[in-house]
Amino acid sequence: MTLLAVENVTKRYRLPRRALLKPPAVLTAVDAASFTLERGQTLGIVGESGSGKSTLARMVMAFEKPDAGRVLFEGNDLAALSPNTLRSLRPHFQLVFQDPYGSLNPRRTVGWSIAEPLRATGQAERHRVSEALDQVGLRPADAEKYPHEFSGGQRQRVAIARAIVTRPSLLVADEAVSALDMSVQAQILNLLMDLQDELGLAILFISHDLSVVGSICDSIIVMKHGKIVEYGAAEQIMRAPEKGYTRSLMTAAGLI
Amino acid sequence: MIKASKLSVSLGAGQAVRDVSLLVRPGDRIGVVGESGCGKTMLGLAMIGMTPAAAKVSGSLRLDNAEMVGADEKSWQVQRARRVAMVFQEPMAALNPIKRVGDTVMEPLIIHMGLSRAQARECALSLFEEVGIPDPEARFRQFPHEISGGQRQRVLIALALTCDPGLLIADEPTTALDANVALRITELLARLARDRTMALLFISHDLAAVARSTEDMLVMYGGDIVERGKTAAVLSDPRHPYTQGLLSARPRPENVRETDGRRKRLPTIPGAVPPLADLPAGCRFAGRCPVEMSQCATVRPAEREGTICHQLEAAT
Ligand SMILES: Nc1ncnc2c1ncn2[C@@H]1O[C@H](COP(=O)(O)OP(=O)(O)O)[C@@H](O)[C@H]1O
Ligand SMILES: Nc1ncnc2c1ncn2[C@@H]1O[C@H](COP(=O)(O)OP(=O)(O)O)[C@@H](O)[C@H]1O
Ligand SMILES: [Mg+2]
Ligand SMILES: [Mg+2]
Repeated sequence: MTLLAVENVTKRYRLPRRALLKPPAVLTAVDAASFTLERGQTLGIVGESGSGKSTLARMVMAFEKPDAGRVLFEGNDLAALSPNTLRSLRPHFQLVFQDPYGSLNPRRTVGWSIAEPLRATGQAERHRVSEALDQVGLRPADAEKYPHEFSGGQRQRVAIARAIVTRPSLLVADEAVSALDMSVQAQILNLLMDLQDELGLAILFISHDLSVVGSICDSIIVMKHGKIVEYGAAEQIMRAPEKGYTRSLMTAAGLI
Repeated sequence: MIKASKLSVSLGAGQAVRDVSLLVRPGDRIGVVGESGCGKTMLGLAMIGMTPAAAKVSGSLRLDNAEMVGADEKSWQVQRARRVAMVFQEPMAALNPIKRVGDTVMEPLIIHMGLSRAQARECALSLFEEVGIPDPEARFRQFPHEISGGQRQRVLIALALTCDPGLLIADEPTTALDANVALRITELLARLARDRTMALLFISHDLAAVARSTEDMLVMYGGDIVERGKTAAVLSDPRHPYTQGLLSARPRPENVRETDGRRKRLPTIPGAVPPLADLPAGCRFAGRCPVEMSQCATVRPAEREGTICHQLEAAT
C-alpha cells in the first residue's frame, strides 16, 4: 500500500480584517495539492518562501487539518481518525525542523529530549535512545549532555535521533539542513541517505534550495503560491525543467 | 585604499584572525568564504573597528593613510561616518523596530553629514531608489516589521551608503533570505560596487553568490587566509585542500547514482572547525586535512602563490 497519499489538499487561512465592516481576506496557503510517496523513497518539495511547503508539512504531520482533500497515511485518513488512533499512529511519522536549537529543550539533557516521542507512547526508553544516538553518529554517552554543548551540525543529528527513535516509516524534514554550513550540510545529507538505506525510511524533504533537493530526492514537487506547478522524477526535472519558475529556482541555486 | 598587514584578532582563548594581509582598492569586489567559526565576521569587524571589547587587535590596518590599529573609538567613528560601512545577516536586528525606516536612513545624514532635514530626506529618497526600493515615498513611512526581509536588507544597504563608503563589508547579507531574493540582493551589491567604484567585501557561505558578484576571493580557515585569487580561478581550480573540500561538499544534482543504482554520498570534510583554543599552531587545517604530513600541525606553512599549505610548498 502507498505509504503517503495526499489527495487534493487545500488549506486556507483567514487574514486579519483590514476594516471593521469588510469581510476578512482569505489566503489559500495550499491549493488542491496531490502527490504520493512510497516506502523508502525521497520526495522533495521546493519553492520560494511562502509557497506553502511548511503548511503542507503540518498537514502531513496531522498538526493541522486540511479544509478540503485528504492526507492518507498507510491508507488512514489522518483527519478522520480518533485522537487515540492518531496517537498510536504518530510514532510512524516524525518531523525534523530547521532550527534544532528552538526544538530542543535547553534545560534538559538531549537524552531526555530524544526519549520524548517514546514517552508519549509509553515505550521503554534507554537502549532505544542509545541506539538512535549511535545511528546518527553520536555516542550513547552524549545523552547526558545539554543542547548548548553541541555544534549546530551535532544538534541537527540530535534532532534526527529524536525523529527516528520511534522507528518511523516516514520522516518529514522541513528545511532541516538550510541553516547549516555547506560542509556540515553534506554530512547531514549523507546521514539521511544512510538512515534511509538502513531503515527503509521514506523522506519528505522540504527545502528552498533546488541543488540540495536535486541531489538527494527521487522525485520533486515545485510549489508556487500554494499550487504544485511541476511534479516528476528528480532526474527529469533537473535535466529539463518545464516551468520558468523552476528555472528561476535553478538560477537562484547557482545551477544555471 | 585599505591595507591590512599581519592583522590579527585575539580573543582570550586564541586567535580568531591570524596575520591577515590584504589590499583593497577602490572598486574591488572580494568574496570571503569559509565555514562558520573561521573568522570571517571577526575580520570584517576588525576592518570597521567594531571587534568585541574583549578582543585584542594587532598588526596594521591602514585606511588611506591613517593607521587604525590602536586608534581610539573617536577616530573610528570618523572613519565609519566617511569611509567604511558594514551590513549584517539579520536585517531585523539591525533596524530600530519603533522607527520609520525613512527616519533611520535620514538620521546619519543629518548627524554626520550635516544635512538639513529637507536635504536629508531628498538624499535618503534617492538612496532608496538607488538600492531598488519600489515606491520610496511610501516605504519611507513604514516600520521595519511592515516590509519584507529583502526590502529590509535594501534599507540597511541604503543606510550603509549614507556615508558614501569607500568600502562596504556585507556579512552574510543574504543568508536569512529566500534564494530568489538573495540573488537580487547579491546583484544589487555588485552593481553598487561597480557604479560607485566602491570596494565590496562580500562574506558569504554561498559559493554561487560569490561566483556571481566578486572578482577576487579569499578562503578563510581557522583565522588564516588559506587561499586567495581570482574568484573564477579559485572556484574552477582550487588548490588548498580546504578549498577543495569546501567546493566538493556542494550538492551537485548530476550523476547522483553509483553504477549499482545506489545513491552517491556527498564528499565531506571530516570533523568540524575546532574552537579557538584547540586550533593547531601550525597549519590550522591539520587534523581535518586528507593530505596532512607530519610537520603540518606544528609548523606554519609559508604563503606561496596565494595559498598556505605544506603539500603545495613541497610540490613547487
Ligand atoms: N497559521 C497561519 N495563519 C495565517 N497565514 C499563514 C499561517 N501559516 C502560514 N500562513 C501563510 O501561508 C502561506 C504559506 O506559508 P508556508 O507554508 O509557511 O510557506 P513556506 O514553508 O513555503 O515558506 C504564507 O503566505 C504564510 O504567510
Ligand atoms: N565575542 C566573542 N568572544 C569570544 N570568541 C568569539 C567571539 N565572537 C566570535 N568568537 C570566536 O571567534 C572565532 C571566529 O568567529 P567568527 O568571526 O564569528 O567566524 P565566522 O564569521 O567565520 O563564522 C570562532 O571560534 C568564534 O567562536
Ligand atoms: Mg517553511
Ligand atoms: Mg560570521
